[in-house]
Amino acid sequence: MNRNMDQRKTPAFATTISRRGFVKTGGALFVSLAFPLRFIGKTEAAGNPTSIDPTLLASWLEIRSDSTIVARTGRAETGVGITGYYPQTIAEELNVRPETITLIMGDTDRTPDGGFSAGFLTGMSNIRKVAAYTYRALLELAATQLGVPVSSLAVTDGVVSGGGKKISYGELVQGQHLELKIPVKGELAKPNPAGWVGMTSLDGLAVEGDPPMKAVKDFKVIGTSFPAGHIPDKVTGRTQWSCDLMLPGMLHARMVRPATLGSKLVSAGTIDKTKFPTAQLIQKGNLVAVVSPNEWEAVQAARSVAGTTKWTEWSGLPGSENVTRAIREYKWEKPSASKGKAAETTAALQQATKKISATYQQGYVRHAPIGPFLAVADVKSDGSATVWTHSAQSQGLRARIAYMLGIPVEKVVVRWMDQSGQYGRTTLGGDGAEADAAILSQLTGKPVRVQWTLQEDMAWSSVSPAWVSDVTAALDAEGHVVALHSAQYSPHMFDPRPLGALLAGMPTATSKPGNWVATEWAYDKIENRLEDVYGMPNLAGDSVNGGLRGNIMRTPGQRQQNFALEGLINEAAAIAGADPIEYRFVHTTDERMINLLHATAKAANWETRPSPHRGARRTGNTAVKGHGVCAMIRENAYWVGIAEISVVPNSGKVRVTKFTIGGEPGKIINPRQLDRCMKSGVVMGLSEALKEEVTFDQSKVTSTNWSRYKILTMDEMPEIQVVQLSQDDKGFGGGSEAANAIVPPAVTAAFFDATGVHARRIPLTPQRVLALLKTSAKSS
Amino acid sequence: MPAQVTLIVNGAKQMIAVDPDTPLLFVLRNELKLTGPKMGCGMAQCGACAVLLDGEEIRTCITPVSYAVGKQVITIEGLSAVWVAQKSLSDSEAAKTLHPVQQAWIDEQVPQCGYCQSGMMIAAVELLSKNPNPTAAQIKDAFTNKPPSPHLCRCGTYAAIIDAVQRAARAMQGAAR
Repeated sequence: MNRNMDQRKTPAFATTISRRGFVKTGGALFVSLAFPLRFIGKTEAAGNPTSIDPTLLASWLEIRSDSTIVARTGRAETGVGITGYYPQTIAEELNVRPETITLIMGDTDRTPDGGFSAGFLTGMSNIRKVAAYTYRALLELAATQLGVPVSSLAVTDGVVSGGGKKISYGELVQGQHLELKIPVKGELAKPNPAGWVGMTSLDGLAVEGDPPMKAVKDFKVIGTSFPAGHIPDKVTGRTQWSCDLMLPGMLHARMVRPATLGSKLVSAGTIDKTKFPTAQLIQKGNLVAVVSPNEWEAVQAARSVAGTTKWTEWSGLPGSENVTRAIREYKWEKPSASKGKAAETTAALQQATKKISATYQQGYVRHAPIGPFLAVADVKSDGSATVWTHSAQSQGLRARIAYMLGIPVEKVVVRWMDQSGQYGRTTLGGDGAEADAAILSQLTGKPVRVQWTLQEDMAWSSVSPAWVSDVTAALDAEGHVVALHSAQYSPHMFDPRPLGALLAGMPTATSKPGNWVATEWAYDKIENRLEDVYGMPNLAGDSVNGGLRGNIMRTPGQRQQNFALEGLINEAAAIAGADPIEYRFVHTTDERMINLLHATAKAANWETRPSPHRGARRTGNTAVKGHGVCAMIRENAYWVGIAEISVVPNSGKVRVTKFTIGGEPGKIINPRQLDRCMKSGVVMGLSEALKEEVTFDQSKVTSTNWSRYKILTMDEMPEIQVVQLSQDDKGFGGGSEAANAIVPPAVTAAFFDATGVHARRIPLTPQRVLALLKTSAKSS
Repeated sequence: MPAQVTLIVNGAKQMIAVDPDTPLLFVLRNELKLTGPKMGCGMAQCGACAVLLDGEEIRTCITPVSYAVGKQVITIEGLSAVWVAQKSLSDSEAAKTLHPVQQAWIDEQVPQCGYCQSGMMIAAVELLSKNPNPTAAQIKDAFTNKPPSPHLCRCGTYAAIIDAVQRAARAMQGAAR
C-alpha cells in the first residue's frame, strides 16, 4: 500500500497539529473537532473507557503508540455492514491495515458526529475526510522526524519510509500527546417542535474542506471483501446486545397496552401480591406497566393486570380493506411536494391523442423486527438520564428523550448496542421502547428494562403507510411516453413520536403532515413529467394515542413511488407491443442505466419479446410462467430487477422462481457485503410483493403475530442471481438499502406477462390474485 | 413458587432456585447469563430462542425449565465445546477452534443484524447431525417446514445461511476423514 504525496493536491483547509504535552508511556495523536468544543470536558468524560485521553472522548480517530487506531462515529451498524465499510475507508486513506482499526459507534457521549446510520454516503464522506486530514498530519510529523520532505515519503501498512529511513505511525506519536483539529459544520440534534420531525437537524456534523484523497485507481482495501467486524462475536455469543444488559437493581417491565388504538384508561387492574409478591403496578396517564426484579414474574403479573384493566371503547379506523377509500375520502388540497415541469406536462397531457392511466396502491406494511423492541433506561434523581438502545439515530433519540422529560439535552446519554434490525423505524430518533423505559425509571427510581412483546410491537409500533398513486402518460404515435404525471396520496411517514410519551401524556414533537418526491428519474428522454406527492395526517391520528403513526421504512418513498412509475412504464411497453427492456432503452440516454439493463438481462437469459407471454392465461389448474423487469436509481446507485414467476390461476398461488438483481453503485467498496445486502434485500422485497400487509379492524391492528403478519420463509426464496458492476469514475453510491424496492414492480410485471392481467396492488396473496383474475375475467 | 432445579447446560451442572414453569429462555439468559438465545415472538413462531435439548432443537420461549431437567442443553456458547469433544481436540487446538457451523457463519458473512442467527445455527447443527450433506432444497425444507415453525430472518439472510450450512457440511466431512 504505497502512496506518494506527489499525487496529491494542496489541501483547501490547513489543519494544524498541536502538542498538548509529553507522556512517559504510550502517546497518541487525537483527531478531534475544530468546532464545537463542548464535547471536551472532564466531567462528561469520566466514564469513557474507550479513550486513552478521557478529556478527548469524542475524537474521531486516535492513532496510538502501538500503531492501533480507534475510530468513532455516532452512526451505527444496522446490519448492512458499516463495521466493514468504515475500517476499509479509513485504512485506505491512512495506508494501514483495516484490522488495526477499532470502531466505536452510536454512543452520544463517546462519538463526535451524530447523523443518520442509514446515511452511508454522508457518513463515509465524513470518515474518509477525517482519515485524509490525519494522513496529511502524520506525513508532516514523519517529515520532521525523519528530516525528509513530505514529497519524498511513502507509507505502507502504517510505516512511513523516505530517504532510506522508516518510522511507524505508533513511533511517530510515541511519548507525545498530539491533537489535530479538523473543520466541521452542522449541529447535533436538539428538540425543536417547529422543526422537521420536531428536531433542529438529524444530519449531525459534516467534515468540511477538501483534503487530498487517494485516487480510486490506487485503492487497495476498498473493493475487497473485508469482513464486517461485528460478526465473530455474534456467532459465538460474545456480543452484548441491548437485550443482554443487566444493571444492578434493574427492574424488568412488561407494558399493558390499551384495548384499542384510541382507548383511554378507565381503571388499571390490580396485582395479586400473594401470587406476585415483588411485582409492582405503574401507571401514568394511559401508560400502564408492571415491573418486577424477576422477568417471569413481570410477564405473569402483567398478563393478570391486563385481564382486569378497563379501557374506554373506541372505533375510528376504516378497516384495512377500506384503506384506499379512506385515503380517497380525505379532503386533499395542494400537494406537499412536486417535482418536474408542471405547465409543460399538463399541456402535453391535454394535447395528447393517446393516453393511458392506472391507479396503483398498497396497504400498510411494517418493519417487523424479529426481536420486539427493547430498551433500558436509568433516570437518576438528579435528573440525568441514560438510555441503552439500538436506535439508528442516537442523537435524535437523545433530544427526543430530553424533550419528553423536560430536561436539557446535555443531561441525557444514549448508548448504542446491537439489537434486532429495524429497517428505518428508528431513523428519525423515535419509536422504540426508550420512552417507556425512561418514564418507568423516573417513576420507580430504578433502572428499568422494557421488553415489548411481539403482539405489542406489531400492534403499536409505527407503520409504513398505505398509499394510492394515480399515474397518467401521454403516448406518441409509436407508443412512446412523451409526458407523464403521477399523483401519490398517503398518510405522512414522519411521525416518530415515542409511544410511551404519547400514552403517558408527556411532551412529544413531530412533523406537519406531508411527504416528499423520492424518485430519481431514469428516463431523461421523457422530458415532460410531473410528480405530485400528497401527505395527510395519520389514520385515526386524532385519537388520544396518535392513531397509526406513519414512519419511513427501508427505501422510503421511492419504494412506493417507483412501484407506480415503473408499473406504468411496463404497461406502456405492453401497449406499444415492445419488449419492456427495449422500451426502456428508447426512453433513456443514461449510459449507466443502459449498461446495467444489458448486463442484468444477459445474466437472466432474458427473452426479448413483448408482454404478455403468448401462453398467458387467467384460468387453469396448471402453472403459467412469466418474466418482468424494473429499474431504479437511488443515491448514485443503479438497480435493475428481473423476476421470473409461476402463477396457478385457479389457486391464486404465485411463486417467484428466480430473481436476478443488477446493481451499479459507482465504486463497489465490498463485493461480498454488497452481494449479501442485494440478496437479502431481494428477500425483503419479495416478502412485501407476495405476503405482507398490516390488517386492522375499526379499533385495532389485528395482524399481531407471524401467522397473521406473514413474511417470506426460506422455502419461498427463489434462486437469486446477483450482477455487480463497479465503476471507478462515478464516485460512491448507496448499495446497502435499495435492493428491496426493485422487487415488487418486477414481480407484478411478471404477473402481467404470465396472466395478461395487471396487478396494481401488492401483496399478491392467493386471495387477492383470485379476486383480481375473477374481476378481470368479467370485465374482458 | 421457586424450587431447586438442576440443569446440564453446555456440559456444566447448574442448580437454580426458580419457578419450574419459568420459560427455559429466561433461566438461560437471566440466571445463567447465557445470552446467545434471543427473545423473539414468545410463542414458538420464529426460532430466535432455539437451543439443543439432547441434540434436538427446541424453542425455549415456550419450554418450562422443568422440562429440561436431566437433559443436555446446548446454546451457541457451548457449540465449540461440542465439536472439540466430538473431535477429541487437544486443549491448544480447542482454544482456537469454533464449531464448523460458527466458522461457516463467519466465513460466509451470514449475520446482518444477527438477532435470529443463534437460532439459525442451532437449527443448522441439528440438521447436519441428521443429514451430513444436505442439498439446498433440504436445507430450505428443514428451516421452513420443521415444526413448530419456520426459522424467520427479517434481514433476509436465507441465501447466506444455505451457503454456510453447505460450507459447514464440507468442513465437518473433511474433518471426519
